[in-house]
Amino acid sequence: MYPQNDFRYLAFGRFAPPTLRLPQGSWLSPWPPLHSVGMNAPSRLPQAGVLTDDGATFPLKTFATLWTIFWLLMMSVTAQDALRNPHTLWWEPVLWEGSSILVATAWMLPALRVRQRYAVYLDKPLAWFACYVRWLPLVAVTFIAAVYAIRFGVYAAVGRTYEHSSWRFIVVYESVRLVLFAGLWLGILFGIDSYGQWQLQRHRLLQTRKALAEAQLAQLQGQLRPHFLFNALNTVSALMHTDVERADRLVAMLGDLLRISLRSIEHEMTPLADELHTLQLYADIMRERFRDRVSVHWHTDETLLSTPVPALLLQPLLENVFKHGVERTVAPVRIDVRVRRESGALEILVSNSGSLLTPGHRDGVGFRNCRERLGIIYGHAASLLVRNEGDGVAARVLIPLTSAFA
Amino acid sequence: MMRVMIADDEAPAREKLEHWLAEQPDVTVVGSVKDGLSAAQCIEQRRPQVAFLDVQMPTLSGLQVAAQLDPSSAPLIVFVTAFDQHALKAFDLNAVDYLLKPYDRERFARTVQRVRERLQSYQPGARAVAMGRAQWPASERLLVPDGERLRLIETASIEWLQADDNYVHVHTAGSRYLLRRTLHDLLFQLGEQRFMRIHRSTAVNIGCIAALAPLFKGDYEVHLHNGRVLRLSRRYRDMLFARMVW
Repeated sequence: MYPQNDFRYLAFGRFAPPTLRLPQGSWLSPWPPLHSVGMNAPSRLPQAGVLTDDGATFPLKTFATLWTIFWLLMMSVTAQDALRNPHTLWWEPVLWEGSSILVATAWMLPALRVRQRYAVYLDKPLAWFACYVRWLPLVAVTFIAAVYAIRFGVYAAVGRTYEHSSWRFIVVYESVRLVLFAGLWLGILFGIDSYGQWQLQRHRLLQTRKALAEAQLAQLQGQLRPHFLFNALNTVSALMHTDVERADRLVAMLGDLLRISLRSIEHEMTPLADELHTLQLYADIMRERFRDRVSVHWHTDETLLSTPVPALLLQPLLENVFKHGVERTVAPVRIDVRVRRESGALEILVSNSGSLLTPGHRDGVGFRNCRERLGIIYGHAASLLVRNEGDGVAARVLIPLTSAFA
Repeated sequence: MMRVMIADDEAPAREKLEHWLAEQPDVTVVGSVKDGLSAAQCIEQRRPQVAFLDVQMPTLSGLQVAAQLDPSSAPLIVFVTAFDQHALKAFDLNAVDYLLKPYDRERFARTVQRVRERLQSYQPGARAVAMGRAQWPASERLLVPDGERLRLIETASIEWLQADDNYVHVHTAGSRYLLRRTLHDLLFQLGEQRFMRIHRSTAVNIGCIAALAPLFKGDYEVHLHNGRVLRLSRRYRDMLFARMVW
């Protein structure tokens, strides 16, 4: 049995297990693989299974209340029925119904425990029900065995014999009863979980939208930051007298970057390739300004380019490198942008040589925003770490590569 | 000929200025540097008449460079900036010259013309220096000559100052630096909080005073933590006592 506090854990369901592995399709081959399971939400949210969100509430209290009321009713019906029979003692109906309640509850607990794992199938009711129904034969056998063992035991303890119908009848009768009850209760569980899921998705959608809007605003402010814009324009103006082609290219890049900042973003997620393109535009403009002391090196694992990443996530990292690593020093600076697969995660590393974090360093707005968005979209599965590495500073973003993304 | 220096950390910006200044018949570019410290050094060594200083530079900003200069000998400074609302307000307020990036030939020509006119005035650099100092009421760092180079020392590490004609000896725990400045001007730059004049030719870092011992006629001996003994003249006595709250 589950200890009391364990049941509370189930009942509130807030503290999801630290890692929620997505169920693989092997057992359920008739159903489509996971990545084609559609989401209700209109936007391209990551799969629910990778999310561990504190905002989710599955109203299990309701479920527990219904469960109790149902069995009290069942017991009173049995009791009323049995007490009309003068040969039946008062405790007998309590034992009959009680043994059923006990075993049914014992089976309901694990069912509730796995429901978060099965939550990804809520969009496909058949798949969801199949996940549970596949356990039914085992449940039926153990249910009948356990219930009758309890009844025989109690009767033996009080020195009476338990009179029952033929075993064949019992197996059929109890199985039918079990199927009916299981159907009823799985239906109720499905309803409650679907409602919870819907609420969760709505909540997350709002959160994601908000975070994206903030990131977009930050990006726009970055591009329209007068210091950046006017210096870039001055670089164009300077190049015009020495290298018209280059000046022209710089104007085009500046235009592209501003266009990206000003477009309205439909999706929270964007392919990594697009995100890197934006980053490259920014880096190229900055490199033109600081061309005598900055070199930027790109190391990209080409197989990862289609991976979805949160839009506009990376530029603050590079902005920071220029602000702290380049503009404040006269020494040549080497900037590395590295994209690779690192133990099941997408690792994006932006590092610079030649300057270190000051001991009392605190995150700027850009980093805070990044971290917040990673938290909203991936929970604890993603991270952003900034620290001294070698003779410079490295900002490392880790985003989970789930089977859906791989 | 007008001797001009350029300081900007961005190569294209530097090249543009060099290019356009070179087109002026009466201008020689005597230096083109990439950061504030080099700018101060260039001003010290090559004595340009005019300095175009970018406001945002590594090591020292343009304004910090100005703050470190001697107002009587400072070149006429033209600040160059892309955008800095705070600085722009100060430029206007102090009637200091500045050039906004990006600029066109006409605006550049106007600035150069104004520079030519201002060069005739008395101490043309003083205004920019005063404004630079006003931005940093008490300099935390002081630019001092160290052999051929200039270096920044922490103001707090200075123990006492000794005037010697138009020069000042700056004494720190380990070294002594000679600055071509008046004591009056240097004290003005360093601010009144930390340093106090104790004699016509001596000033001391108040934090370095260990003890005071009376002499005759109201003079005192000032004992520093490092063992050195300086003289406090009667004239500055009351001011020092007031500051030290004995």
